[in-house]
Amino acid sequence: MVGIEGAGLSGLGAGGVLGAGARAQYAAMAQLRWNMFSHSLHSSKGALELGARTVANLLYAAMGVAIGLGAGAGSYLIASNNAWQYVPIVFWAMCFLWQMVPIMLASFQEQFDLGILLRFPVLFGSYFLLYVVSGLVDISTILGGLCSVGILVGVTMARPDLFGWTLLGLAVFAAFNILLVRAIFAWIDRWLAQRRTREILGAIFMVMILSLQLLNPALHQRRHAGRNGQPAQRESVKQQTEELKARYGPWLQAANQVQSWLPPGLAARALRQAAAGEQSGNGAVPALGSLSVLGMYTLAAGGALAARLKSEYRGENLGQAPSRKKVDKRDRGWLPNAAGPVAAVIEKELRSLLRTMPVLYALGMPVVMVFFFSAMFHNGTSRSLHPQLQIALPIGVAYALLGFTQLFYNNLGAEGAGIQLYFLSPTPIRSVMLAKNLFHSALFLFDALVAGFVVSFRIGVPNNQVIAATAAWLLFALPSNLAVGNIFSVTMPYRVNPGRMARQRGSQANALLSLLVQLGILGIGVAVFALCTFAQALWLAIPIFLALAAGAIVAWLRVLTNIDGMANQRRDSLMATLMKMG
Amino acid sequence: METAAIQTHGLTRRFGALTAVEDVTLSVAPGQFFGFLGPNGAGKSTTIKMLTGLLEPSAGTIEILGLPFGASALELKRQIGVVPEGMALMGRLTAPEYLRFVGRMYGLDGATTNRRTAELLEFMDLANESRKLVVDFSHGMQKKLAMAAAVIHGPKVLFLDEPFEGVDAIAAGMLKAMLTGMINRGATIFLTTHVLEIVERLCSHVAIISKGRLVANGSLEELRSGVASTLPGTEQEQRLTLEEIFLSIVGADGGHEPAQELTWLA
Repeated sequence: MVGIEGAGLSGLGAGGVLGAGARAQYAAMAQLRWNMFSHSLHSSKGALELGARTVANLLYAAMGVAIGLGAGAGSYLIASNNAWQYVPIVFWAMCFLWQMVPIMLASFQEQFDLGILLRFPVLFGSYFLLYVVSGLVDISTILGGLCSVGILVGVTMARPDLFGWTLLGLAVFAAFNILLVRAIFAWIDRWLAQRRTREILGAIFMVMILSLQLLNPALHQRRHAGRNGQPAQRESVKQQTEELKARYGPWLQAANQVQSWLPPGLAARALRQAAAGEQSGNGAVPALGSLSVLGMYTLAAGGALAARLKSEYRGENLGQAPSRKKVDKRDRGWLPNAAGPVAAVIEKELRSLLRTMPVLYALGMPVVMVFFFSAMFHNGTSRSLHPQLQIALPIGVAYALLGFTQLFYNNLGAEGAGIQLYFLSPTPIRSVMLAKNLFHSALFLFDALVAGFVVSFRIGVPNNQVIAATAAWLLFALPSNLAVGNIFSVTMPYRVNPGRMARQRGSQANALLSLLVQLGILGIGVAVFALCTFAQALWLAIPIFLALAAGAIVAWLRVLTNIDGMANQRRDSLMATLMKMG
Repeated sequence: METAAIQTHGLTRRFGALTAVEDVTLSVAPGQFFGFLGPNGAGKSTTIKMLTGLLEPSAGTIEILGLPFGASALELKRQIGVVPEGMALMGRLTAPEYLRFVGRMYGLDGATTNRRTAELLEFMDLANESRKLVVDFSHGMQKKLAMAAAVIHGPKVLFLDEPFEGVDAIAAGMLKAMLTGMINRGATIFLTTHVLEIVERLCSHVAIISKGRLVANGSLEELRSGVASTLPGTEQEQRLTLEEIFLSIVGADGGHEPAQELTWLA
């Protein structure tokens, strides 16, 4: 903020939002954001950490590019087939991404509050401009930009004559989205600053993800039945579809009319009108009309943003949520108050878990996914299982194991300053780790059992050898994970804010190595299963896994025996890492 | 000869090239209210961390109630209570849950833990907040909870790192009364704080650390007369406050080079 303060108070107002003083403030702001960004890349864990983070960022970038390619491919198909009635879907999807993703991501991360600028002598115009410009580096704008480029390329490849109209329409639509998302943020950012609100939004986000994931297998099943099912089944699906059309057709038509007057519909309509006009030679006027209405929406979004920022600028705080009333009810414990530190840690872990939506989601998600995926292989009422589907049980159980990676490999991460208590109290760290391992194992076994039941119920019950071999593999996989997880938890911990889902700084090395260990354990399982199946002696997998399990249990006990020494040796860095601010 | 409650010899801690605490030798008698003072970064928190087993000394020895850290660490931890710099709280628990957790970690039985939890919450004026998560507490409330957790097992020696920071005047008065009661019942308290008025009122003995080295150690009267003897006027004329003693010993600049005056400030 040196630039802001050093800009010279007398010159700040002169020249307006583009004057020398304002420009110095923009430069200071840019410097601040750059410093924050570059500090976020610094790592005390060295090259491995930086490498792991780079890999993760590349993956995110690839996901963004994939979304852009999807938008491009969709647009190309629509334009080349002259199927313009579907183009609103592309714009609505883009608008949804643009508006919802940042709000939902905000539930997992602290917001950079531009309100700090109001301490300084900043012009309102400059404040507005900074607020809008700072949004350009948000993930929403990047995603929206990639989608826009995809649409532009897709449409132009199919219809080069529409390049100008597509560019113009996308530009206005992008301006609308940028202003709208910033306006929404401006109104709810203080609300988001509250932990509980972030968690509620996080929960809504999870429900939405679950709903979307439910949609795919449901459609898949319906499509599968419609195309490949028995003739009677196909006829039934066709009949149901006709009934749905008859019942909801008028509603859909009305909804289509309404959406065509909303911003994504207007952008789509402009493109459609331009496409028709290029062919007939008189489409410019209607297309310009649609874009003008879209422009008015853009101005309205800008106005809403300006109104909110003006209030903030004057010192009002309209968006602040009222503080919650005090709760006078006494706590009524519902867990048995068992004595002893191991029971105390287990109870504390359970209570914390039940209050931590993102962790519950991470644990429950694999089971839900097993449920959805198993729908693709749903066997109807038949209880017989195809030989190739025998492996569904071990796959389902192994998938459930993945949800526990963070708990196993960073089991102290959520303690924060509470880690000090473990070193201050007369309880050995061994007891703390034992309690955590027992609790996490119980959770995992519950998850694995549910996954097993789901697979058996949806696909069919595998034979006894598969069940026994899967159980034997679990006896190997679980203590292996616990043993390595305890070591990683002490040697390369990272701080986890239990209210957030996003990983914290310093987590990538642990994440990468723990993934490698998990893959190793899964690989051993796959190799043994494959070899024994190939040799037509699946029973052999059981003693092999049991022998490996014996070794894993010994290793886990040895780690527990030595964990006090390891933890005490590293207590300084352990506490510094887990208590780190920000 | 009575065993010291806290005894250190040549206590040293280095972080790479930096020596945070150097050759600190001090003795705190049982029942003493001991104030440990120093400017920011002088080594107070590092010393407390070493005394409570949170940090391994690079050199020197520590004995608490005659027991050395190491083989007796667990037995020793049962005897001490600590409000550490980071407060050691667990945000996802409510205050009663946290206190019950701490009580059980210190080996108290369920009934005792529950009784003391209720009494401490009442005493600390936190009983009405029993459904609120600790993460939602104000800083002052968190300090009070950390204090409650530090004493729930009835420690013989209590280490307090800035316990009054962010605590309002009413709560501070309540805490002072509790600490005085503990001293009257034979406990030993080792306190670091920047509020010199509290040290002056509560502590019988004071040590001052500056740049990692112990620069003064003794009763308040001993320090007062020691400093007064270096100043003009007789001892009777010099009724020095602890702030004056402190500034006289560490220097008004805290041992640092005097900064250039900011002449551009109005």
